[in-house]
Formats: sequence, structure tokens, C-alpha cells
Amino acid sequence: MVWQQSRWLPAIVAPAVVAAGVLGVSAASSVDLPGKTPEQVLALVAGHTVDAFSGTLEQHSELGLPELPDVGTPTGDDVAAALDLLAGSHTVRVYVDGPSKARVQVMERFDERDLVRNGADAWLYDSSTQTATHFAVPDAASGHSDMDPQHMGMTPEDLAARFLDTADPSTEVTLGDTTSVAGRAAYQLELDPRTEATLVDMVTIAVDGETGLPLAVTVFAVGQAAPAASVAFTDITLETPPAERFEFTPPPGTTVTEHAKKAEGDKRADSGEEPTTLGRGWETVVVLPAGSAPVDALQSPQLQQLSTTVPGGRLISTALVSVLVTDDGSVLMGAVPPETLLSLASGQ
Amino acid sequence: MRGSTLPSEPAVRAVQADEVHTARQPLLLALLASELTLLFRRRRTWAMLVALAAVPMLIAVAVRVTAVEPPPGRGPPFLDSITSNGLFVAVTALVVCIPLFLPLTVGVVAGDSIAGESQSGTLRYLLIAPAGRARLLVVKYAVVAVFCACATLTIALAGTLIGLALFPVGPVTLLSGDTIEIGESLIRLLLITSYITISLLGFAAIGLFVSTLTDVPVGAMAATVVLSIVSQVLDNLPQLEWLHPWLFTHYWLGFSDLLRQPIEWSSLASNALLQLGYLAVFGALAFGRFTTRDVLT
Repeated sequence: MVWQQSRWLPAIVAPAVVAAGVLGVSAASSVDLPGKTPEQVLALVAGHTVDAFSGTLEQHSELGLPELPDVGTPTGDDVAAALDLLAGSHTVRVYVDGPSKARVQVMERFDERDLVRNGADAWLYDSSTQTATHFAVPDAASGHSDMDPQHMGMTPEDLAARFLDTADPSTEVTLGDTTSVAGRAAYQLELDPRTEATLVDMVTIAVDGETGLPLAVTVFAVGQAAPAASVAFTDITLETPPAERFEFTPPPGTTVTEHAKKAEGDKRADSGEEPTTLGRGWETVVVLPAGSAPVDALQSPQLQQLSTTVPGGRLISTALVSVLVTDDGSVLMGAVPPETLLSLASGQ
Repeated sequence: MRGSTLPSEPAVRAVQADEVHTARQPLLLALLASELTLLFRRRRTWAMLVALAAVPMLIAVAVRVTAVEPPPGRGPPFLDSITSNGLFVAVTALVVCIPLFLPLTVGVVAGDSIAGESQSGTLRYLLIAPAGRARLLVVKYAVVAVFCACATLTIALAGTLIGLALFPVGPVTLLSGDTIEIGESLIRLLLITSYITISLLGFAAIGLFVSTLTDVPVGAMAATVVLSIVSQVLDNLPQLEWLHPWLFTHYWLGFSDLLRQPIEWSSLASNALLQLGYLAVFGALAFGRFTTRDVLT
């Protein structure tokens, strides 16, 4: 009988080995970094000189929006595509070489959206619709533009910069336990808003202990245990990517359009108003003037489903951000409770 | 369920046992060779491979005879690329086959591997030879793995040939918008078939285990195929997100990462690791069950 029973031994050992392997991988994150004050880490971030790297980012958001089965990429519908980018998880590959060369690849199961910036040219390519849009980057010398992927809120570095910019006296900056991101030892800055009037509970920024490059940003919302939004490198190489990575020619069969920057400028000029901000720090509310919300976007079934009707407009309320579209088409948004927006709108 | 070789099979087994008995040294290889011969002598095996080859043919002919070009983003992935490049027929067919047809055929072979022998009474012949049950199990699994590779290659090959015959062929546009030459795209297709073969290995191990549980091959086949469907359904429920990376079907469609520039290897690596885990666990379970089971009475 002992002989019979020993035959089952592998069936017990195999799952144990698998489990041990899994636990071993997740536990292998002991980190050893010299002790620093929060100010020293902030200086480390400000002084970092990494301008060429390639890596993979994992983006995740849990905004409390209704979850639907993932039946593939939303097609054709801009609103749905924007919502898709806002909610759920994405794997993004980023290649950066200096301020004027970058490539961002948002990877879907059978599709990919590519953003390629090379000097004065920028391309947006969507494999699901087989369309490419060309942007002329006006000031290639300065290297900073709207089309610069590094400044589109895609990378932890950019997000961290935004939060650190607002890290004025309204924020309490502390240093959490050291952590490990993409296999690199990192300090963890914790930004805690000193106000109750925001939906943001806390922001943590993982800073590479060696170079000072932000590796991960996690935003926690008030009253929600799981992070409301997070961006983190799962893999990063601090080497210059090959030059061919930044070369893009629209493949045959692609619909190519030229981005008309002028026309957009005209439209802005017509309405005659720029977005304004109310409040400061974490309580900032951005106000887009009347008529800026496109009517067709408001009719979109997805938006209808997500928003609720309130006196004077429609309200989209998420764990982290509230958006109020008033009946005259102006838009108020901010990381504040919806009541703040409603009282602001009625006071205007 | 058995092919035309059924009546003579006990006889074949008896001879085989004798052969194996005399040729002690290359025992494993001899057993593997004879098992493979048996698999490919079976009419059922060929019927399944022909059915799989018919999938790309059907897709290609349907797209060719329809005047309307499929709009981008409709139908199975890559369908809209077929008219401009025949090399996409194979990829489209593989996407179509992965959820059901491939697991169905692999499930039949895996589910039959032990239970079939058990039902037809040939298992005892195999066990008379000093092959040992563990070795027989290894050989049976190897046969199923070979079938996984053959099934995937059949679709890729049939798809490539029909694509060459019916559509223009040129440099392939990858998901990232980069284009690669035909030679490299064929290498990528080969990589995709390897990826899918690896994807099926864990599933094959589950099928082998189920097959050791019963003497009814049809039951084992059905149970195995149903398991693959259940796993895919669970993988589509967002509420079970924590479970997804552990499902053996989770990376089945991840081969699209091989169609990016540069190739994203992480899904292949995670997939291989996951399948290895399933192979270890269910291989061990099959070993426990098969070596303690009373098959001779």
C-alpha cells in the first residue's frame, strides 16, 4: 500500500513546487537603498538626467465606472475609444531618445495604436482602422509640444511631474518604504493632500534609487482601497533604442490624413474663450467655456449611460474625477466631489 | 470512434509488445515510433487534419468570391488584410481555430490516449511489455504534443498555400505599422505556430489526466473540450480578473504580440511558464492515477 501511495507523491509535490515558485518570484523584492529625506529624493527626481530608455508600462484604472466584458477594441467610436483608454488596463511600450524622438505603442489584443515622434514629424497610427495622422511639430528645436508623448500623461515621469508641480504647501510629502519596480530599487514618495475638498486620498511615486527617474505613479481615491489609477514600468532598459524605432512610413493601404492645426486654432478663436481654472492645488476645477462640449459626444450612448441628470446639466462622477456638462455646453471638471462642481455651476 | 485499424489493433499491440520486449535499449523511442505510427495510421487523425485545413480554405474562398471588401475592424482579426495580402489567410484561420477547433481535435486525441486503449482492451498488451506505466504515459503525452504541432502547422500551411494561390502577396504590415519582407513574415508565421503549439501543451496534459480517469474515451474527450470552453468563458468575465492569469487559455490569443515591431516576447514567456505549470501538475496527477490504477483485471 505504501508503494501505491508513493505514486501520488508527484501529484502533491508538483503543485507545491509551482506555488513555491510563484511565491518566490513575488517575494524576491528585498530592497537596499541608502536612507534619504523626502527633500533629497525630490532633488534626486528634479536632477535626473535619463533621457533615453525603452520600457513597458502597465496602466490600470479603477474609477468605479461600470465594467463590461472585454469584447475587443471599440471600433469607430471616438467616445468609446476615449473611455476605453480611461478605464481598464493597458500595456504600453515606450521608447525615448532625447527630447525629440519618442515612440509609444498602446497594445491591444489584436490592435495597436502607435505614436511616433521624430524631430519635426509626428505620426499617430491606429492598426484597427488602418489610419495614420501626420502632425507637423511646430517648434522642433524646443522639443516640447502637445504631440510629445512624454508630455501626454503617458509615462510615470510626466505624471509625477504634474503631481510634484502641485506639491506646494497644500501637500504633505513623506517617504514610504523602499520598493522594487521593474527589478530596480526605488524610493517611494507619498503625497498627501492637506485638504478634505479633493477626491484624491494619496499619491505615491516610486523613484529609481540610482537615477532618480520616476518608475511608477499610483493614485488612491478617497474611500477606495484599490488604487484608482496607476502607471508603472514592468520592464525598463536605460539604453538608447535603435534609430529605426523612430522611423515611420504609413504602410500601404493606410488612410493618411494631415492634422489641420490651423483649423482648430480658428475654432478656438471663434468661441473667443480659453479654459479657466478655479481654486488651486488639489481643488483646482477646470472650466471650459459654453459651447465647448460637442453635441454629438453628449448624445453618445456610452456617455448617456455613464452620466446622471442633475439640475442644470449632466454629471459624470468617478472615484477620482467629476465632470459636469451644463445645459449651455460648458464643462467643469476636477478631482473634487460632484457637489463642489454643482455649487460652482449654480454660482456662475 | 476508432478508425479502420481497429480489428487488427490487439494483434498489432501483441506484436509491438514483443518487439519492445526484445529491443530493450531504445525502448522509449521504439514505443514512441510505434505510437506515432498508430496515430497517423488512423483515419480519424487524417479526417481531423483535413477539417482543420478546410478552415483557411473556406475563409480564403469566401473572401475571394465576395465582391465586398471586409471593412477594417469587422469580423475576425486580420480578415480585412486578406485581400491585400494572402499571407494573412493563415493568421486569420489560426485566430478562428484557436477557441474551438484546435482544442476540439487535441481533446479527441488526448482524451482517447489512455481511455481508448483501456476500452478496446489493448492497454494490457502495452503493460505486459516492460515499458512501465510512467514511460507509457510519457510516450502518450509526446504523441499528443506531436499532434498539437501537426494540427497547428496544417492550418498555417494550408492557409499560406491558399493565400498564395488566391491573393496577391507582398511585404506584411505589422500591428505597429512597420512592414517586413515576405521571408521574415514566414518566420513570424512559424513563430506563431510554435506559440500556439506551446499554448496547447498544458491543455494536452489536462486531457491526458482526464483520459486516465475513465474507460470511456468519448467521455474523456468531451470533458477535456468542455474544460477548455469553461476556461475561456471564465477568462472573459471581468469579475474574475484575479483568476485570469492562472487560466490555461489566458494567453491563447496572445500570439498577436509576435506581430508587433519589435516582437513582444513577454506573452510567449508567461505562456510557456503557465503551460509548464499545468504540465507539471496534471502530468503528476495523471502519473498518480495511472500508476495506482488496476487496469489488468
